[in-house]
Amino acid sequence: MPDELIQQSAMAVDLALKSGADDAVASVSRSQNTRFTYRDGKVEQVQQSASCGLHLRLYVDSRYSSHSTTDLRPEQVRRFVEDAVLLTRHLQPDPYRAIPDPALYADRSTADLDLDDPAVRDLPRDLCLGWLRGMDAVAHGDARVISATSQVSFGSSSSAMVSSNGFEGSRGGAHVSYGSSVTLNEGDGRRPEAHRYVNARHLTDLPAPETAAAEALRRALDRLGSRKAPSARATLVVDPEAGGNLLSRITGVLSAGAIQQNRSFLAGKKGQQIASPLLTLTDEPLLPRGLSSRPYDSEGISARPTPVIEQGALRNYYVDTYYGRKLGWTPTTGGPSNLVFVPGDKALDALVADAGEGFYVNAWLGGNADATTGDFSFGFHGHRIEGGRLSVPVSEMNITGNFLDLLNNLAAVGNDPNPWSGYRTPTLVFRDVEFSGR
Amino acid sequence: MPAMTLQDHPFGVWFGIDEAVVSRVLTEAMSCGAEFSDAYFQHTRGVSIALEDGLVSRASTGVEQGVGVRAVLGDQVGYAFSESLDLGPMLAAARAAAAIASGASGAPSQAIRPLDLPDRYGVGRDWEAVGVSERLPLLQKAEGVARQMEPDVEKVSIYWNDSDQRVLVATSDGVFCADRRPMAMLACQVTLLKNGKRQSHSASVARREDIGWFTDERIRDLCRRAVDNTRILFDARRPPAGEMPVVLAAGASGILLHEAIGHGLEADYNRKGTSIYATLLNQKVAPDFVTIVDDGTRPNDRGALNVDDEGTPTERTVLIERGVLRSYMHDRISARHYGVKPTGSGRRESFRHTPMPRMRSTYMLDGPHTRDEIIAAVGRGIIAETFTNGQVQIGAGDFTFYVKNGWLIENGRITAPIKDVNIIGNGPEALKNVTMAAADARLDESSWTCGKNGQGVPVSLGIPTVLVKSLTVGGVNA
Repeated sequence: MPDELIQQSAMAVDLALKSGADDAVASVSRSQNTRFTYRDGKVEQVQQSASCGLHLRLYVDSRYSSHSTTDLRPEQVRRFVEDAVLLTRHLQPDPYRAIPDPALYADRSTADLDLDDPAVRDLPRDLCLGWLRGMDAVAHGDARVISATSQVSFGSSSSAMVSSNGFEGSRGGAHVSYGSSVTLNEGDGRRPEAHRYVNARHLTDLPAPETAAAEALRRALDRLGSRKAPSARATLVVDPEAGGNLLSRITGVLSAGAIQQNRSFLAGKKGQQIASPLLTLTDEPLLPRGLSSRPYDSEGISARPTPVIEQGALRNYYVDTYYGRKLGWTPTTGGPSNLVFVPGDKALDALVADAGEGFYVNAWLGGNADATTGDFSFGFHGHRIEGGRLSVPVSEMNITGNFLDLLNNLAAVGNDPNPWSGYRTPTLVFRDVEFSGR
Repeated sequence: MPAMTLQDHPFGVWFGIDEAVVSRVLTEAMSCGAEFSDAYFQHTRGVSIALEDGLVSRASTGVEQGVGVRAVLGDQVGYAFSESLDLGPMLAAARAAAAIASGASGAPSQAIRPLDLPDRYGVGRDWEAVGVSERLPLLQKAEGVARQMEPDVEKVSIYWNDSDQRVLVATSDGVFCADRRPMAMLACQVTLLKNGKRQSHSASVARREDIGWFTDERIRDLCRRAVDNTRILFDARRPPAGEMPVVLAAGASGILLHEAIGHGLEADYNRKGTSIYATLLNQKVAPDFVTIVDDGTRPNDRGALNVDDEGTPTERTVLIERGVLRSYMHDRISARHYGVKPTGSGRRESFRHTPMPRMRSTYMLDGPHTRDEIIAAVGRGIIAETFTNGQVQIGAGDFTFYVKNGWLIENGRITAPIKDVNIIGNGPEALKNVTMAAADARLDESSWTCGKNGQGVPVSLGIPTVLVKSLTVGGVNA
């Protein structure tokens, strides 16, 4: 398969050069996925997909464009590439557009990232249905359950990339995920819901399906009786899943594009202390079995571990070729892969006991952040923390603040990084956060 | 005779798809006992262009084509798609979908029933016929206008995209129809630098229109909104935290309807019992002056459709009529479950996705009050004007929307600007708490995309000026 994809990519590059492009990068990808959905005692949906696509980046007389198609019939590809080159000539020349420096392709890791579990490529239908029946039974383990939906999804993908200046590579892997979502009858018309899905590259890395379903039910039960608490300035404890969502807002503004376009509250802060010394964060693209692991990035830049934040000091931005040239910076990589935290030594119970009073957040509901200023406001639900313990569930509340303040107010980091995400966030504790409620 | 034949339709001309091929695919999808099958053929060409730092320096084009085949047995669905429109891969997809059932071969397709559809987005020129160099001046014009408007402007980015989508829907009960759906979007994002501080914000406009619609006046209006809404951020602060009256400015505040009410009235959630509105049909849920519709029939709206993605002609669905919950939004499966007619709300992101009940243009009709009366009625609260996000929990009913621009209201008067606060409330409670609505309903023309189960579809929304007695506003504690 990789050989065939490389050949197809190389053909597209050849066509582009013959049509007049100065440089071209082509990638061809294929993926397949199967998803079973099971609800309240029966199969609700079976979905099967097989996708393929060609993606092309063109450099023509200092002009740049990118193109994609799912129509891979040879004659159509030929016309598609010719049209794409022609279109590019109509754009304006941009002196900063250039194919990546081939030096960045060098020293690609040959380590086995172990991203492909043959067992996951084609899970037998009966095995999946057995899991689903088990999850469905567990998820219905309370009289107040109105409806429970469980899913099993698995598949694999592979892609190849070839450039006119010497890049050639292929990568791919498998993935499997399952879990349940549960809706309960609150008794007052409200129907609180919660879910738990886990995903991994290898089947053996996942907990048992019933464990995920039981967790979904427990989370839903935890929401019964939720209410608004009074507004307060208080300590915020964020669970690892919710913490990943929060921190993805920070990696977004570390891109050279955001910096160059003056839409980043972390612009001009490289080398400076931007967070509490408790925060150390590394981009780890070569993590074995990592959900976001990759030997090279979307431009073909060889992947290597990169410190992002060290003891609160900002060490690196995500720099791609184009915005790197505009800023006069050496490209690193265009965007995050796996983010690994230096964990603390305390578990959730101890962190909550230390917090004393405040709020525990386990899911966000809407909200947004301003990339330029760092101002944010998010809805959430979770629990109150009273007397050093998790107490009543809360809902219909917001937190509001600025990321620069929040990062400085990081007071503790847990010992429990989330293994089911590329953002391996542990429990995080922040002081002096604004909560709005009743 | 069908009003449309495949011979001269692009799917026929380009891919050799004729009635016989369609019939084979539908029959194959029913080969294991499904009661119903459909095929959704799609071919979409799209163009995106970006202007940054004074240069149109990035453009991309995309071609997305394929067919999604669905087999239905009761409320069980088998689904598969093929990007290739060759018979072999299409039949393989149909066989994969068919496996949802396990029985004898289903009834073969009936005679074709062509649909006579209206044309709600006829455009002068199809996007396919417009060269890329004709689009560039629109972006350059917008950039120039935005720069002229404001001396403190540091960065202006203009983003454009358009698409020309052809779909063909064929069902085993004989529906056979085609639609061609244009869409175009222009967005202006600005960053201002003032006394060493930066603020940025954006505005967009998106319609099923052609290039002629993007007049100088509309471009100017777009840039005006982007620049004005950014400039005010320098003076804006956070409101006090907690519960307070919230006035929703006419237009974009329709996001409240979309999140607080719209999603909860999508019939799939109600069929499964997981929506907070599941038991409220025909009950009084809002004051008499509240009428809310979901409407696919308004010409050239971003949310307009001639036919939904299951082959049901779209319509104007009254969801809440004078305060009474009248109808959910239905796809074929939910309509059958409830024994009602589908409302033409079965939509999907692409041939890779199964259809679900979705919103089109959701808006509230005029109320009896005036904007001035509403603002005068607020002792201490806010008015919300622009938004950058919204979300809802269907079962618990909690919804949120993120206010980017707004104002404090103190003693019945608009005072200081506010920014960046999330607002959270509960759908049915918020509906009951709509205490005033003005006669100034307006549909917002921004580029709204609604997400559900990982599928994005274009929608429109709108509302008159409305007062909600109490919502929880993010902010700072005194």
